[in-house]
Amino acid sequence: MRGENKRSVIVGIFVFVGIAILVAGVLTLGGQQKKFVKAIQLKAVFDDIGGLQEGNNIWFSGVKIGTVRKINFYGDAQVEIEMNVEEEVVEFIRKDSKATISSDGLIGNKIIVIYGGTTLAPAVEDGDRLESVMPLDTDQMMETLQVNNENLVEITGNLKNLTSKLAEGEGMVGAALTDSLLAENFRAIVNNLNQASINSNRMINELKSFTAKLNQEGNLFNELVTDTTMVSEMKQTLVSLNTAAENAQKMTSELSTVTEKFNSTDNSVGMLLNDPELAETLRSTLQNADSASYNLNRGMDALEYTWPFNKGFKRKKKAEEKENN
Amino acid sequence: MTEKAADRKPLLSKKIDKFFTGLADAWNFLKRFFKEVFVPPYEFREVIHQCYRIGVESLPLIALTGFIVGIVFTNQSRPSLSNFGATSWLPSLIAIAVVRAMGPLVTALIAAGKVGSSIGAEIGSMKVTEQIDAMEVSATNPFKFLVVTRVLATTFMIPVLVMFTDFVALMGSFLSVNANENVSMLTFFVQVFESISFLDIISSVLKALLFGFTIGIVGCYKGYNSSKGTEGVGRAANAAVVMAMFLIFIEELLVLQIVNAIRMM
Repeated sequence: MRGENKRSVIVGIFVFVGIAILVAGVLTLGGQQKKFVKAIQLKAVFDDIGGLQEGNNIWFSGVKIGTVRKINFYGDAQVEIEMNVEEEVVEFIRKDSKATISSDGLIGNKIIVIYGGTTLAPAVEDGDRLESVMPLDTDQMMETLQVNNENLVEITGNLKNLTSKLAEGEGMVGAALTDSLLAENFRAIVNNLNQASINSNRMINELKSFTAKLNQEGNLFNELVTDTTMVSEMKQTLVSLNTAAENAQKMTSELSTVTEKFNSTDNSVGMLLNDPELAETLRSTLQNADSASYNLNRGMDALEYTWPFNKGFKRKKKAEEKENN
Repeated sequence: MTEKAADRKPLLSKKIDKFFTGLADAWNFLKRFFKEVFVPPYEFREVIHQCYRIGVESLPLIALTGFIVGIVFTNQSRPSLSNFGATSWLPSLIAIAVVRAMGPLVTALIAAGKVGSSIGAEIGSMKVTEQIDAMEVSATNPFKFLVVTRVLATTFMIPVLVMFTDFVALMGSFLSVNANENVSMLTFFVQVFESISFLDIISSVLKALLFGFTIGIVGCYKGYNSSKGTEGVGRAANAAVVMAMFLIFIEELLVLQIVNAIRMM
C-alpha cells in the first residue's frame, strides 16, 4: 500500500513537472508574441503585400510592438492589413506615421515597419488607418539592376577601347605612356615643377621672415598697424594734403586763365608773346634804340672833350684814382 | 478471429480475408475500449500504476534520447546553415524541428519500442497462460483492468514525456549552440519562442495524445489477441511495436496536413 502511494506521488510529480514545462512554454510564448498584452488595432492598405502573413511582426523603431491580425482584400484589388499594436507604445506612434512592408533580415519573414510621424500630430487611436508606403519591389530592383548591368557592359567596352588605344600609343595619354621623348619632356616638366616648388618654398620663407620683420616693434609698418595716434596724424596730414591739392587746383585754374590771356592778343603781354607785327616793331625799335645808344655813346665821348663838360670828367677821374690808391 | 471463421471457405483469398477480419476485430476492440472507458468501476489505482511504469520509468531513456537528438540535430544542421552565414538561425530551426515534429515523434517511437512491446508481451503472456480467462471467471473485467488502464496511461503519459523531451532536446541544442556560437541561454530561448506558435504547441500535444493512444491500443490489441503459446507472445510484442510505429508515421503525416491547412487559414 505504501509502495502504491509512493508511485502515485512520483507519477503526480512527473505529471506536474511535465505540465509545468508546457505552461511555462505557453506563457513564455504568449509573453514573447504579445498574446496576452492589451492591444489596439491599426490598419494600412497596400497594393501588394509580397507574401506577408497573419502573425507576422510589426516593428516600430526596431522594436517588435505587435503582430498582423488579419489580411483582407479591399477596394479594387488592394489589401487591407489589420495590426494588433501594444497599447503601451501607442503614445509614440503618431497619426501621420507611415507603414511599409519590409523583411526580417535578408531572407527572413516579412514584417510591417511603422516609421516617421511628427510630434505635431496626435497619437494614433484604435481603428486608425496609417498611410502606407509601397516597399521596393524585387522585380523593380531587378529591372534597375539590369539597366546597371547594361551600363556596366558599355563602360567595360569603352574601357577596353581606351586601354587598347593606350597600349597602341594613340592619343596624348597613350603617347605619354609609350613615347620616350615625351616621357623625357614630362620628366623635365616635373623637374621644373620641383624647382618651382623649391623656389616657392624659399619665397614663402622669405615672406615669412619679411612678415616677422614687419611685426617687429619700432618698424614703420608695424607702427602703421599698431600705433593708434599715427592714424589721427595721418588723417590730419591727409586733410592738409587735401587742402593743398584744392589750392593747387585753384592755382592751376588761375594759371590756366593767365595762360589763356597770354595766348590771346587783347592785352599787352599776350601781344608781346603772340603778335608778330609787334615783335617786328619791337625789334626795329630795339635796333633803333641800339643805334641811338651807340650814337649817344659817341656823343658822350665827344662831350668829354668839349668845354665846359671836360672839367667835370676830369674831376671824376681824379676822384676814382684817389679812391683806388 | 475464431477457429470457426478460419475453417470457413475464404471470401476473396485467405490473406485478404485475414486482413479485413483483423481490421474488423481492431474496430470492435476500439469500440469496446470507448464503451468500457466511460463505464464504472474505474481502475484509478491501476491507471496510476501504469502511468508510473509507462511515464516515470520511461523518462530516463526518453530524456537521454531527446538530449542526444537535440545535440545531433544541431550539429548536423550547422554546416548547411553556415554555408550561407545563417548559423544564428539554429535556435529557430531546432525549435521548429523539435516542437513540431521531432519531440512527439522521437518520444512516440521510443515509447512504442519500450512500452508498446512490454504491453503486448505482458497481455499476450497473460492471454496464453489463460490469466485473462481466470480474471473473467473471478468477476473482474479483464478488458477494463488490463486494456483501458494501459491505454489511458499511454494516452496521458506520452504528452508529458513529449514536454520533457522537447525541453531536454532544446537544452541539448543550447549546449551545442552555446559551445560553438557563444549564444546566451536567454538569446537562445528568445529565438526559440520567436519561431514557434501556439498552433505548434497545441498540435504537438494533440499529436502526443494520439500517438500515446495508438501505442496503448495497438499494444493491448496485439497482446489481447495473441495465440499459439510463447511464440505468440513474442509475435504479439513484435507486432505491437511494428504496427504502432507504422501508425505513428501515418498519423504524423495526416496531422501535418491538417495543421498546415489550419496554419494557412
